[in-house]
Amino acid sequence: MKMITEVLIIGGGATGVGIARDLSWRGIPSILIEKGDFASGASGRNHGLLHSGGRYAVTDPGAARECMAENRILRKIAPHCIEETDGLFVSLPEDGFDYRERFLRACDEVGIQTALLSRDETLELEPELDPNLLSAVKVPDGSIDPFVLILENARDAEEHGAKILLHTEMTSLILDGDKIKEVGAKDLGGGEEYTIKASYIVNATGAWANQFLKLAGLQIGMALSKGSMLITNQRLTHHVINRCRPPSDGDIVVPNHTVSILGTTSVRLEEVENFEVTPHEVSLLIQETSKLVPAIQEARLIRAYAGIRPLFQSETKEDDRAISRGFVLIDHGERDGIKNLITITGGKLVTYRLMAEKTSDLLCKKMGMHTPCSTHLKALPKANRPTGLTEKLKQFSFERVETLCDCELTSRKEVEEFLKTDKLKDLQDILHRTRLAKGSCQGGFCVYRLLGVLHDLRRINGNSNEFLKKFLEERWKGIRPILWGPAVKEEELMEGIYKGIFNL
Amino acid sequence: MKDGPMKKQSWPKKNVDVCIRCATCMAVCPVSRVTSKFPGPKQAGPGAERFRRMGEPSVDDWIDLCIGCHLCDMVCSSGVNISELNLLAKAKYLDEKGRPFRDWLLTHSYLYGWVGSFLSPFVNFLFRNSMIRWVGEAILKIDRRRKLPDYEPSTFRQWFKKHRSQVHQIKEGDHPPFKKKGKEGFEHHFMERKKVGYFYGCYMNTNEVDVGRATVQVLEVNGFEVILPLQKCCGIPMLGNGNFKGARKMACYNVPSLLKTIVSGSDIIFSSTSCGHMIKHEYSHLLSIPRADEVALHLFDIFEFLRNLKELNGLDTHFKELPLKAAYFAPCHLRALGIGLPALEILRLIPGLTLDNIEADCCGMGGTFGFKKEKYEISEEIGRDLAEVIDRLKPEIILSDCEGCRMQIRHLTGLKVSHPIQILRDALLPETKFTL
Repeated sequence: MKMITEVLIIGGGATGVGIARDLSWRGIPSILIEKGDFASGASGRNHGLLHSGGRYAVTDPGAARECMAENRILRKIAPHCIEETDGLFVSLPEDGFDYRERFLRACDEVGIQTALLSRDETLELEPELDPNLLSAVKVPDGSIDPFVLILENARDAEEHGAKILLHTEMTSLILDGDKIKEVGAKDLGGGEEYTIKASYIVNATGAWANQFLKLAGLQIGMALSKGSMLITNQRLTHHVINRCRPPSDGDIVVPNHTVSILGTTSVRLEEVENFEVTPHEVSLLIQETSKLVPAIQEARLIRAYAGIRPLFQSETKEDDRAISRGFVLIDHGERDGIKNLITITGGKLVTYRLMAEKTSDLLCKKMGMHTPCSTHLKALPKANRPTGLTEKLKQFSFERVETLCDCELTSRKEVEEFLKTDKLKDLQDILHRTRLAKGSCQGGFCVYRLLGVLHDLRRINGNSNEFLKKFLEERWKGIRPILWGPAVKEEELMEGIYKGIFNL
Repeated sequence: MKDGPMKKQSWPKKNVDVCIRCATCMAVCPVSRVTSKFPGPKQAGPGAERFRRMGEPSVDDWIDLCIGCHLCDMVCSSGVNISELNLLAKAKYLDEKGRPFRDWLLTHSYLYGWVGSFLSPFVNFLFRNSMIRWVGEAILKIDRRRKLPDYEPSTFRQWFKKHRSQVHQIKEGDHPPFKKKGKEGFEHHFMERKKVGYFYGCYMNTNEVDVGRATVQVLEVNGFEVILPLQKCCGIPMLGNGNFKGARKMACYNVPSLLKTIVSGSDIIFSSTSCGHMIKHEYSHLLSIPRADEVALHLFDIFEFLRNLKELNGLDTHFKELPLKAAYFAPCHLRALGIGLPALEILRLIPGLTLDNIEADCCGMGGTFGFKKEKYEISEEIGRDLAEVIDRLKPEIILSDCEGCRMQIRHLTGLKVSHPIQILRDALLPETKFTL
């Protein structure tokens, strides 16, 4: 099938869908292709932190300023994706006050609102923190649900004319002089092949940027930095907890829905695929984060996962944390002489909208248009599902709807809504769209219930055992690094269910 | 002991993390079996706990439907204290929502029980009057279908006082207070009489005095002198209604008093398994009462105590023949004590007595639960299983160690229901003749 559009966006992460939305509001037609599902890369594999910018205030004031500005905008346009938890930068006795003073000054300079809290005030707010702490600085951090954010952006973009092709991989790229003439793509589900002609092509593939550029014979200086995270069974704190010291491993605990996410590490990688959380990372994260929240020592972990930060670099540096977390926008016309290609990479989830704005501005400039950006003014279409934990429990209490996932109180209705409207190819796609399988048993009980629903709706084509197997393999990947204590018992039970009952 | 607001340090440790979601508890929960209003232990306990936030108002109004039977705790393969989680959530919910006067009335019978007893003919008449019950339902939301227990004209304490003075008279006159059938001489035995404390519980004191009478008589036959340590309500009705403060107040009175008896060298027995479970388990674990664990070590169910005696060959087993077809129902709180079914073991020594064990989960009474209008139907529905088993067994009498169970079984079957100790006494004492 042949398609013609103005802008072709490669990559369905936050940046890609952000660009699609931005362009759609400016009235510029676009097609987005993504080889997996939305948020399959770093957009869906981070700790869901709505940065205040505090973390970068000392080391990277530019990035900090961007974070703070975007933080304010996102609170306005995507309130249902955000929990306004606030963040604490906690000073432990071994940290002293040196960094805290620099931190307060730097925040002041970049415009991040701070409040210095005494030990007692801090413990009053967060009783689980180490009682020996010295003080804490409160900043406007928050927690954000990247999946909802990206889906809402995509929905809004589609409503305004953008076309999004998921599970569609780019297969070829045909150059014609100083332009990319057309791009070949293939639907990984249905097998259909597309030829897409576009005036401009945006490479928003994040960590995969160089893989794409290779097809055009190009390369940019990029470091791949793996960040690993652990998920606890319960929400341990209600503020984002940062360690008030220079950025380092295991210095953050983010509350996210029912759980807390412990992060992160920073390990240089050579390739984008096939990475895992190592035992060393797991112990490092527990050791470091439990200095902030001692309960982590005994808390049950339910999953470990890692994401790859695509960090742009002009020359090789030793520590990836020293590389700017700001984003880069490359006009390959100027850099390499391919006039209709733009690469956007780096950045943070929080700055996705700004990245989209700058990319679209550049596209407009190239097209000779002067339509201004409006995404900072237009709120996302509100999802109707309850956001807070209390609301969710309340809904469960009053409506007593049929739940598929007991751990996360995901109702059958909620799942069916997605199944009826969206084109889902994979079990993982459903998991990206709901909280299903994100709780204590990690889908042990709800996924086979889901199979029944899929069957009722005639949504399973082919072998449902394969479907289950694929899910279980993905699940196992996350559980293996944290397999001790209650998790072992849980796995024994799951093995009994899936091997014994389902005969897998 | 100070009775202030509960500090974070004194809360029982919540072990939500060890729940592996296996749902075994869902299979035993009597409440979720009969109503979809209650989501079952897995969801109400460790499940909802992940959604609850301190400082935010409770929204899970179904938490009030947990009957507190502890059956879920007993089957949990991971040792999650589910009913405790529920109780804590219920307390928070009711603290916020406020408790009706009805709940105060149902949980403070220790305050007005003596009045009921003093005016028993009048009170009992009122309790039976359908008009009064109708008014009670309309105003107090106490279900009119539930028969309120009769008050006895004199309390157990009054009887005991009289009884003890009689015993002392006999002692002074050098006459045995009861006939000892053993080979050893009575005199020798008399000298060695060991004291044992009795936590009798408020319900028995005013409403089922014969249970206490039988307990004292059986212990005396076995060579013990019964003493009554100073005691108040154990606090379980309050705890069951989420009133931690009230329950703590009771516990803080009872623990030092019981300790005094224990330190003087006596063990303490109880005949109400609910009171016993409360003191033995909840005092130390849930209420963090200092030294409650010491009390727990010396506190025994009456039949557990007799079973221990039997193992030491000290139990008087000269039972007379008792041709009777009985069925025994083990209360949830007895099962939660984890001591087996001692009453069944001891009663089976009685010649002529046929004793069936009723296999059913929970009677559905749940202490004050079954009195409440909004819960009456759930309570009755839970008990239906039990009533069916009884119907099949067709016993002449039903035995159970808990007053709540006895009330419910009487209500559901209309049969005679006794405490097992009453049967044991009947088989042991020559002068009592068992009559149905």
